[in-house]
Amino acid sequence: MTFEPAAAPRTGDGRGDRWLTVVVALAASLFLLFIVAPLAGLVGTGGARGLRALVTDAELRNAILLTVGTATLATLFGVIGATPVAYALARGRFRGRSLLAALLDLPLLIPHPVAGIALLLVLARNTPLGAGLWAVGLQITGSVTGIVCAMLFVSAPLYVSAAREAFDRVDPRFEGVARTLGDSRWQALRRVTLPLAWRGLLAAAIVMWARAVSEFGAIVILVYHPKVASVLSYERFTAYGLREALPVAAVLVLLALIPLAALRALRGDERLPSRRR
Amino acid sequence: MIGLDSVSASVGDFDLNDISFAIPQGSYGIVIGPTGAGKTTLVEAIAGLVPITKGTLQLGGSDMTHAAPERRRLSLVYQHAYLFPHLTVRENVGYGSVSPKVTVEMMERFGLGEVAGRDVRILSGGERQLVALARALARRPEVLLLDEPFAALDPRRRISVRRELRTVYFERRFTVLQVTHDFHEAGLLGDVGVVLDRGRLLQVGRPEDLFRRPASPVVADFLGAENVFAGRAQPIRDESPDWSPSVTAEDVEHAVAFTTGAVTLYAIGHVIPGSAHAVIRADEVSLSRVAGASSVRNQFRGRVMDIAPAGAITRVTVDVSGLPLVAAVTTRSAQELQLAPGVEVFAAFKATAVHLC
Repeated sequence: MTFEPAAAPRTGDGRGDRWLTVVVALAASLFLLFIVAPLAGLVGTGGARGLRALVTDAELRNAILLTVGTATLATLFGVIGATPVAYALARGRFRGRSLLAALLDLPLLIPHPVAGIALLLVLARNTPLGAGLWAVGLQITGSVTGIVCAMLFVSAPLYVSAAREAFDRVDPRFEGVARTLGDSRWQALRRVTLPLAWRGLLAAAIVMWARAVSEFGAIVILVYHPKVASVLSYERFTAYGLREALPVAAVLVLLALIPLAALRALRGDERLPSRRR
Repeated sequence: MIGLDSVSASVGDFDLNDISFAIPQGSYGIVIGPTGAGKTTLVEAIAGLVPITKGTLQLGGSDMTHAAPERRRLSLVYQHAYLFPHLTVRENVGYGSVSPKVTVEMMERFGLGEVAGRDVRILSGGERQLVALARALARRPEVLLLDEPFAALDPRRRISVRRELRTVYFERRFTVLQVTHDFHEAGLLGDVGVVLDRGRLLQVGRPEDLFRRPASPVVADFLGAENVFAGRAQPIRDESPDWSPSVTAEDVEHAVAFTTGAVTLYAIGHVIPGSAHAVIRADEVSLSRVAGASSVRNQFRGRVMDIAPAGAITRVTVDVSGLPLVAAVTTRSAQELQLAPGVEVFAAFKATAVHLC
């Protein structure tokens, strides 16, 4: 019987691995630099001036307040209207479900000025719906209502998508068990599904709010005045140049940190280690 | 009482087809079948969580085919408990309870008093299942549906939980339908056994009958019959010594010659001549080292092929003219007979031990 020595385990080419590591690290660093540098530059250059301007510049302060207020309203309407839609998409097995989901994603994929034009076609005063709304005292174009509509249109699909995922993460058998324990469909939703999905729904609302705050394209087409922060920064840039636009832009970046921090806090809370016996 | 009449239901691509059986009021029904048989779909259809597309469902004498789950007066316990993770143990047990007193009673019965205020996410698998059972029973259901409720429990805990459930069952006499793939459990608990496979009903009957008289080779194989042989059955002539002319009833069973390979077995049955299967449970086959002079009709000489001891029982496979016949004998007998591969033995079993299907 002949014994053969065991073949040495195959090892990778050390030099090739090192080169690959260097290339990957370089690409990642460049990517991070590309994302972080403009934002850091913006806050570094205009952050302090922006915070001072919040006190001294009434127009900026009003624009920020208007942005926050309208984004909050749009998010509220989105949560009320889109939560049932997200639930139906997560749980329902009806014909046209995929088509409905695709339609709801469409506002995310079209250029936002196009979204504004689409809204204008339906809600302008010379359209049947716009005229009807005008008749009951609800002006869309050039109004706060218009800003809320534009924000809702472009950001609600994000909420629907994230809320649907939140519902998907709750096993329908929890609801089933609740039903066999005497709950009606609504009771099971209220007592079991919503308490289990609330983190995901809140995260979805935060994402929607953040997207609404940053909206520009649809608002500028549908409303322009009164000016939200994004429109104000654009106006100051085109009228007075970069220097005047910087404080507004920096405040918008700082404003975006609020939802970012909220999302981090939510996710951190989710990841709290559970005690196991 | 649970009564299904030609019930069909669909979940995704899976169909449950034409299921009919009845579990009398206060009886314990067992659903057995391999993975993918549709056991859980059946239970969920009875619970109203999967819509019934055809047929009718009776619960407690009322038509509940399309009733909402909350109107069916039943409780359901899944294998994975599905405790509500945002509620404590006490809140879970009390979720559908008929009264706070019953909640406390159930918690005490299942030994949950010490963990009442605990977060259910940190309970062990056994504790979770106890909470699920207590929660289901606190509703005082008329029908209890159990989907493999003991599968996640360790053997010691399984025995104690099963015993506690049986105690409550005998006290209150609700109707139970339990899904299991454990044949031992089926035999131990059930009054009525239901065998499913690939969404179809294969057989309904007393668990003992399912084991002794399977309706098809598939059922026999699934229920762990060691000796299932394909062959041809031929009723033996209606005359002495195989036929008593004094018996005239038409449905009296015939003596049957069943031929499989080079072996012909003697059986008793209603078989139509032609292809059939013979099922012989291993514990019906006895072994000896000498040919016996007894009334046993089937006696064959063979050689031991394999010996598989498992505790007090040893399974011995004997080659009978090419037919692998398995006998379950006590390990002590196997030792006393000095069985070993290649040893010549005589295998014997009664004609009545051969079930033809």
